[in-house]
Amino acid sequence: MAVDRKRLERALNPKSVVVVGDKGPGYMWLSNMSEYTGALYSVQVDPNEIPGIEEKNIPNFSSVTEVPGEVDLVVCAVPRQIAPIIIGQAIEKQVGGVSMFTSGFAETGEPDAIELQKKIVDACVESGMPLVGPNCMGIYNRELGVKFSNQQEQGSGSDLGVISQSGTHGIGISLGSQRLGMKVGRTISIGNAVVCNESDYIEYLIDDEKSPIVAMYLEGVKDGPRFFSALKKLAQKKPVVIWRGGGTDAGARAAHSHTASLATDTAVWDGMIRQSGAIPTESLEDTLDVLAALVHAPACAGLGTALVAMTGGQSVAITDQFQRAGFDVPELSQKSYDMLGEFFVTIGGSYRNPFDAASTIRSETENLEKILEVLAEDSNIDGGVAIELTTAGFDKEPERLAAQLDLLAEYRTKTNQPVVAMMPEGGAVSGQAEVVLAARTAVSASGFPVYPSFRRGAEALARTQAYWSWRYSL
Amino acid sequence: MTSLTVTDTIITQARLEGRLLLSEVESKNLLVAEGISVTDAQLARDAAEAVSVAESLGYPVVMKIISPDIAHKSDVGGVVVGLTDSDEVKSGYDEMMRKISSVAATAKIEGVSIQSMAKPGIEVIVGATTDPQFGPVMMFGLGGVFVEVLKDVSFRVVPLEPRDAKQMVREIDALPILEGVRGQEGADLQALESLLLSVSELIERRPEIAELDLNPVFAYSDGAIAVDARIVLHSQDGV
Repeated sequence: MAVDRKRLERALNPKSVVVVGDKGPGYMWLSNMSEYTGALYSVQVDPNEIPGIEEKNIPNFSSVTEVPGEVDLVVCAVPRQIAPIIIGQAIEKQVGGVSMFTSGFAETGEPDAIELQKKIVDACVESGMPLVGPNCMGIYNRELGVKFSNQQEQGSGSDLGVISQSGTHGIGISLGSQRLGMKVGRTISIGNAVVCNESDYIEYLIDDEKSPIVAMYLEGVKDGPRFFSALKKLAQKKPVVIWRGGGTDAGARAAHSHTASLATDTAVWDGMIRQSGAIPTESLEDTLDVLAALVHAPACAGLGTALVAMTGGQSVAITDQFQRAGFDVPELSQKSYDMLGEFFVTIGGSYRNPFDAASTIRSETENLEKILEVLAEDSNIDGGVAIELTTAGFDKEPERLAAQLDLLAEYRTKTNQPVVAMMPEGGAVSGQAEVVLAARTAVSASGFPVYPSFRRGAEALARTQAYWSWRYSL
Repeated sequence: MTSLTVTDTIITQARLEGRLLLSEVESKNLLVAEGISVTDAQLARDAAEAVSVAESLGYPVVMKIISPDIAHKSDVGGVVVGLTDSDEVKSGYDEMMRKISSVAATAKIEGVSIQSMAKPGIEVIVGATTDPQFGPVMMFGLGGVFVEVLKDVSFRVVPLEPRDAKQMVREIDALPILEGVRGQEGADLQALESLLLSVSELIERRPEIAELDLNPVFAYSDGAIAVDARIVLHSQDGV
């Protein structure tokens, strides 16, 4: 069904929220809303639970219909038998939408549970009520502070929006992105997606300013052709990363033709994703790797990269990975070589591209500045810089890394090219594990994509490069 | 006769007979009528008819068994290539019938298809099928007997745009073979792209088609032609 967009808008950006059926001692849903900027109410009829809610100074009512004023979102956490009653109240109150945490419906496969879900769906469809879920974590809205995990941040700004069929992966993508210095504007955990399905959300995100980039976790879709066409529109407007779980390679069906027997679920899905322009990923870390490159690097379709490693061995290793991922590691112009020759320490170092730079970039940052100045002027480099950053000593002297990041940020602003930080563990310039982690966190917080291996960095950047190259070709 | 009528007739006839699988001759006649380049194949019901068809097409010819009960023709001796004159066609026909009557005694034989022998090219497969989630989809890959083992194929959802056809052809691992290896001439990639696009248009135009294999298609340095074709229809009561 096509969902009422205005009501969905209210549900996803609620100025007032009613939590129905929250329970002590934790009162998870009400606690998640501790930073909520709108009007928060509770509906709970169990006398044992009400005192705990009143202690939180949250007004409690015995029905959704009794809540004063307009209600944009009902978060429903009641036992499944009660769910149809709450839906009835929400319909009567004409709320924006309902997000249903309650589970135990069609996903169980039990006839009674399927029937119960149908009852809810029919009521929502008939009244035009957007239902998020059931069997979902619901809605996170960063700016408003609507959360389904208390670790989700509240604040301004937004780098990406997330849609997830799994609550766990919705939280994983949200929190993982935050840790990498990205602001998740909204996350929608879609659950069984029986009233609002993935296509409804995708269509909503096409014009959503809180979602300049979109990440998705999906297992299947309800309406293939509609999904494909919505996804295509979305990917033509903004980068979309799709991690798909649960695909199968089993032969599609008994077939008369070679084509049908080769058309497995995953083969068709992969082709469809490529056709749509979305970026396919295969795991949580893979998804976060690509997101970091999309969020923290300027849009860039260039393939000529400059690679700066700290030892000879690492300069070979980083080159292998970037070439394997499809990048060029071009020679620089003679003018660049002349300029580099004036200061570069070539005893134990090299500047042909890749750079073996540890003997040149020592404790002073002046030489890094000179290298970046040369690279910024060299037209062979149009795909950005990947640099291995030293983490040894970060615990004692964090300002050294900070100074390097300032120079790298300057390069990025000047050239509008990506700068990718490589911070592998165990390299010649690597600190102890906890120091590496702290250093990576600092680099993420400064707004750079950081990777724990050359391979992951090269592959993530290659996929964003391919996306922008496709976008520019449209 | 307009092209639409040929296709309608073939589809109606098959449905009247309760068949979803079109014979090679039917499949090819339909494809020719729809403007898709295939080697011409004509049905011959006996040896004399086989000779007269061969004479009209010109030698050399290929002879293949036509039977709704035989899916893999070459496994039962149902394919003979390189027949160069009327004697060879006649004896080839008799020999084929003898073989098949011993290995596939119960198969209903409608006759043989006679077609001119195409100059060999790089073998590719172009196909279409109906995905339960996304509807009609197209496939491209390197053809030949290993296609189902190597699975080096690309898929796209119908309708294809020119960009999609371009990517499909270039996405397979075997692309260097299509581009020409060890001094061999490469394939006409543009011809393969247009073939993909015309099949996509056909699938859009004729929703009765559930599955289609052009396998192999011979790709030349200049053009491409489908040498074998198989079409499966949707049952009338839906997919």
